[in-house]
This record gives sequence, C-alpha cells and structure tokens, in this order.
Amino acid sequence: MTSGVIEIEGLRKTFHSLRRGRRVAVDGFDLLVEAGQVHGFLGPNGSGKTTTLRALLGLVRADDGRMRVLGAAAPEQLPQVAGRVGAIVESPQFYGNFTGYRTLRLLALAGGVPVSRVDEVLEQVGLADRGDERVKGYSLGMKQRLAVASALLKRPELLILDEPANGLDPAGIREMRDLVRALAANGVTVLVSSHILAEIQLICDHVTIISRGRRVTAGPVTEVLAGFDHNEHLVRVDDPARAEELLLAAGLTVTGHADHLVVSGVPDPTEVSRTLGEQGVWVRELTPLRPDLESVFLELTGAPAHPGVPRQVDGSTPAGGPAADQEIDLGVRGVDA
Amino acid sequence: MNLIRAELERLGARRFVQLMIVLLMLAFGVTAATTLAGSHQPSAVELAEAQRQAAANLRGMELEHERCLARDRGEPLPGDEGFYLPPDCSELDPALRDRLPVAADYLTGVFTFTRQAEPLLYFLVAYLVLFGFLVGASYIGADLNSGGVVNLLLWRPRRLTVLGAKLGTLLGAVLTVSVLASLAYLVTFWVIAQVAGYPGPTNAAFWADLGAIWGRGLTLVLLAAATGFAIATMGRHTAAALGAVAAYLVVWELGGRIVLQILEVARPDQLMLASYVGAWLAGEVRFWDSTACRTVVDSYCDGSYTLTWQPALAVLLLLTAGLSASAFAIFRRRDLI
Repeated sequence: MTSGVIEIEGLRKTFHSLRRGRRVAVDGFDLLVEAGQVHGFLGPNGSGKTTTLRALLGLVRADDGRMRVLGAAAPEQLPQVAGRVGAIVESPQFYGNFTGYRTLRLLALAGGVPVSRVDEVLEQVGLADRGDERVKGYSLGMKQRLAVASALLKRPELLILDEPANGLDPAGIREMRDLVRALAANGVTVLVSSHILAEIQLICDHVTIISRGRRVTAGPVTEVLAGFDHNEHLVRVDDPARAEELLLAAGLTVTGHADHLVVSGVPDPTEVSRTLGEQGVWVRELTPLRPDLESVFLELTGAPAHPGVPRQVDGSTPAGGPAADQEIDLGVRGVDA
Repeated sequence: MNLIRAELERLGARRFVQLMIVLLMLAFGVTAATTLAGSHQPSAVELAEAQRQAAANLRGMELEHERCLARDRGEPLPGDEGFYLPPDCSELDPALRDRLPVAADYLTGVFTFTRQAEPLLYFLVAYLVLFGFLVGASYIGADLNSGGVVNLLLWRPRRLTVLGAKLGTLLGAVLTVSVLASLAYLVTFWVIAQVAGYPGPTNAAFWADLGAIWGRGLTLVLLAAATGFAIATMGRHTAAALGAVAAYLVVWELGGRIVLQILEVARPDQLMLASYVGAWLAGEVRFWDSTACRTVVDSYCDGSYTLTWQPALAVLLLLTAGLSASAFAIFRRRDLI
C-alpha cells in the first residue's frame, strides 16, 4: 500500500460537445507523488495535464478512476484536506478593479486564514510594494505571482502549480525556482506542471510525462534521463572519414555529420580515444551527449514537427519512438489499488 | 460565516453594484429635487377652495345616485332629465366607489403625498427589480466567467455551499439595499410633502395599502435577483440572463401574444408572465378577454376576468424556485474549465 500525497489511478475523462463531438482528454492516467517530492508534470499542449489537475481538485468530474489527495478520496473528501492544499490551475483570473491585497484578503476571509498572512505571502512572492495596486494594472508575471501568493496563503502541505512560470521574466523565473526550492526544503510537497523543461529539470526531483491523456513515463528525474542515455559521444577529429572507418571497424556505432561524428553505445569514452589514437588519429573533442529533459520529452511525446508541417496541439506521435501509447518502464512504483 | 463576509465584501466592491447604487441615488435625487421645485405648500385659501370643490363633487355624485334611485322608484327625476343613468344604480353609488374625491385632487402645483406615494413607490420598485436582476446576474456571471468561482472552490471545494452562500449573500444585500432605499425614498417625499406640499389625509388603510405594495415590491425584487442569478449560473455568463429575458420578452410576450391573438386563444394574458408580475404588485389586475363575448349577441356579457396576487405569487415562486433548483443542479455537476 503506497502513501502518496497524490495518488491517481486509471483516471479517465471524456468531454462531449455538440459541435466537436467526443474528445478523450485523459485516458487511464496514473500519477503518484510522494511526500517531500518536487514533482514535475509534463506534457504537450492538450495532453491532459490541466484536465488531470482540475479533476484532482474537484473542478472537473472524472468519468472513471481513483484519486486521493493527502489520503482523502478526491473529490468526495476534498473539503477535509482543502485547507492543506494550495493550488493554481492554469492562468488564474482576478477582478481587475480589486487590489492584490484585497484579492488575497477576500480569499483569506473565505478560507478562514488570518488576514495577517496576506502581507507575508505578498512579501514572499515579491509583491509587497505593489499589493495596493489594482490587479488590472499588473503584468502577466505579476498576476502569476499573485496566483502563487493565493496558493501559499494557507501554508499548504501540498502545492499544485500549473504553469507557475507563465509570463515571468528570467529574474522572476529564478525567484519562482528559489521559492519552490525553499518550500520543498520546508517539507512542502510540490507538483508543478510547466512547459519550461529546463526549469523542471532544475527544480524537480521526480517527473511524470503525459501524452494523449496517458502516462508515458514517470520516476526520479535522474532515472528518467538515464533511461534515455544511449551512451553517445560527440567526436571531432581532423579527418572524420578516416575516424569513422576506424570506429566502425572497432565495432562501434557511428553517425557521421558534416564536422563531427556521434558514436553510440560507448559507456567508456576512453575506448574511442584509444581506438583512434592507436591509429594516429588524434581527437580534438570528445564530449559525452547526455539527454536532457527536453530531448526525453520530445522523444517520448513525438513532439518535433515534420519539416514544413506545423505540429498540431497534442501532436504526439507513436511513430519513431516509444511515445504516447506505450509507457517507458523505469521501475516506477505504481499506485496500489 | 467567513464565506458570507467575504462574499459580501466582494459584492460591495464590485463596480457594477456601485454604479447601480449611484444611479439609484441619482434618480432619487432628481425625482426629489424636481418634486421639491415644482411644489408649494398650499395656503389656507387654496386648501379651503380645494375642500369645497371636493365636497361639491361628492355632492354631485350623491345627487346623481339619488336621481337613479328615484327613477327606479318611478318618481319624477330631479335636475337634468337628459343625463344618462345606467340600468344598475349601484354603479353610481358613491359608497361603492374605490375612492371619493378629496381636497388633494383639486390642488394644483402641490405635491400631495397620499396621491403620489403609490406611483413613486412603483417607480422605485421597478428600478429595484432591474437592480436586483442585473446585480444578481452580473455577480455570479462575472465570477464564473473570470474564474473567481474556481479560485473560491480551490479554497472551499463544496459547490452547493459556495453557490448557496453567494445566492444568500446576494439576496440579503439586495433586500438590505431595497429596504433602506425605499424607506429613505418614502421618508424624503413625506418630508417634502410636509415642508413644501400637502401630506393629504392619511389613515391606517392608506398606510396598510402602501405597506402592502412595499412588501410585495420587495418580494418581487428578491425574486428578480434570484432569477437573474439562476439564469446567469446556468448560462455561465451575465449576458445569458440578459439574453434570456430579452428573448422571452420579444419571442413570447410580443410575438407569442400576436400569435395567440391570431389564433383567438382565450385569455392570452393568463399565459404571459408580465400579467402575473402586475397582479402580484398591484394586488389584482383585470383583463378583458375579447373571445368571451363573441357568441353573446342579445344579452349583457362581461368578458373581463381578474388575476389576483395569490396565483401570481404561486407562478412567480414556482418559476424562481424552478430556475434556482436547475441552476444548483447544473452547477453541482458542471465541469469548470
């Protein structure tokens, strides 16, 4: 029996529309977030991320599946734990003619949180000097900060952030990163969805990737990346053609490019330098090519567009890789039934 | 309680509500100022002359009734013999009249409270009905459209409680504004009558009638607010309520009425909501059914019929309760996306 802070198993949601017919948004999705994790939730546009978060928070009715938040069945028992969960879902909207302070004050009042907390969270998100301004004068990044402030009001044990870096400038993104790290250091479990994959890689210790409403991979970030490490190395030499011949003759897999070679399946790079050096071909550069989250994400979701063909929303394609319809087995512990 | 406090503050801070209250005060101020400017306190001579004219008119009515009764007794008719007398002398009986001539009827350029309180109150009720409907619709419509409800549900994931708190807050606030506005309104005109007009003969029956109109008017305001709230909730937008009312008025009250007349349907006014609103507000409304006497050629036929406040209240309550119940049922299951 797992004790996840968030447990989702077999979540299904289909939207029906007279105009557009039936659209499967989430199709048997599983997610497990354990206490203390900073968990990245990734997926292309329209892949079901926000629908999943909305279902988890009781804003969308799931057709099937089992969800628990902080041990409480969602959405039935959500009211019991709502005071311990801070969340922002997609770009939150606020009344333009209310000040930031008033916006938070009303939420604090409605949620039974001491109003004195408002100043603290405004300070925390960097809006202390702008809290008395009307929200309609806020930039997108400031509105995003206000949304995060609203999620922090309750001193949550679990923080769910949907695209928290949306609209933030580089300094704001760094502040958000520091904030999430600080919260995690204080024991707050964070589930963060974002398109800024480098950010996710920097702040998250675990990740789940969704495509076409299904989980395609999940696990610790390092393990996910390791699963896609093909032991590739970039090799630059003065005579690439000769080097390619030598490496192929040594039984290595080589891909030739205009000014460099990529050697695959080489756990130890000294094998490359020794093979070439013994034949008098001297290596100018030998760089390991480690996968980053972006390359893994694109490989899993099949997101790169074909040349000249604009990629459509959730244009995940199972062709050319283990995307969309099959999950990469990283030995991730599932949610017990 | 905190939720209601927060909702009350949110409602009061809304620009539209503030604008409607300013417009109410403006209309109130203009009406009071023009009344004050166009009225004067009647002199003793004016009052005596008006009382004399009222008494003379009353005497004339009594004489006419006397002549009619004399005709029925077969006695010679006093006065002008060419004057028309109805077959039924009770039609001329002053004692059976709705109201008898009073001095105020003969005062020119004098604001008389007892004569004008009723139409003034109807005007105020009409404004407050509009106020209640628009504020009710925009309060929830803007909240649903802007994501304010979603924000609130993240704090209080109890949909029916949140919607109920909003409706309760709305009705309480609208009732408070209506009571205060109407009391201030009537007191102001009472004072104007005292200092620059003529209060008129007031008695318990007058105050009871005025109180009944006031009470029914306030009830109508609350029903309008709940209706606007319910339609906007179902339509997710303020415009849904405005559109629904406009469509109803054009399609049914106007178009439907024409069709019913062409089809010669009996008592078409009974099928119109406006008839019930009028009947509720006025206590009763008399309508003429043009189809009732079509076959009667050789005898007296009264094609009129009356709608009283009791069925009117039942219709209005059923409609409002039905719309509100539907709104709650839809909101309970709706996907908030």
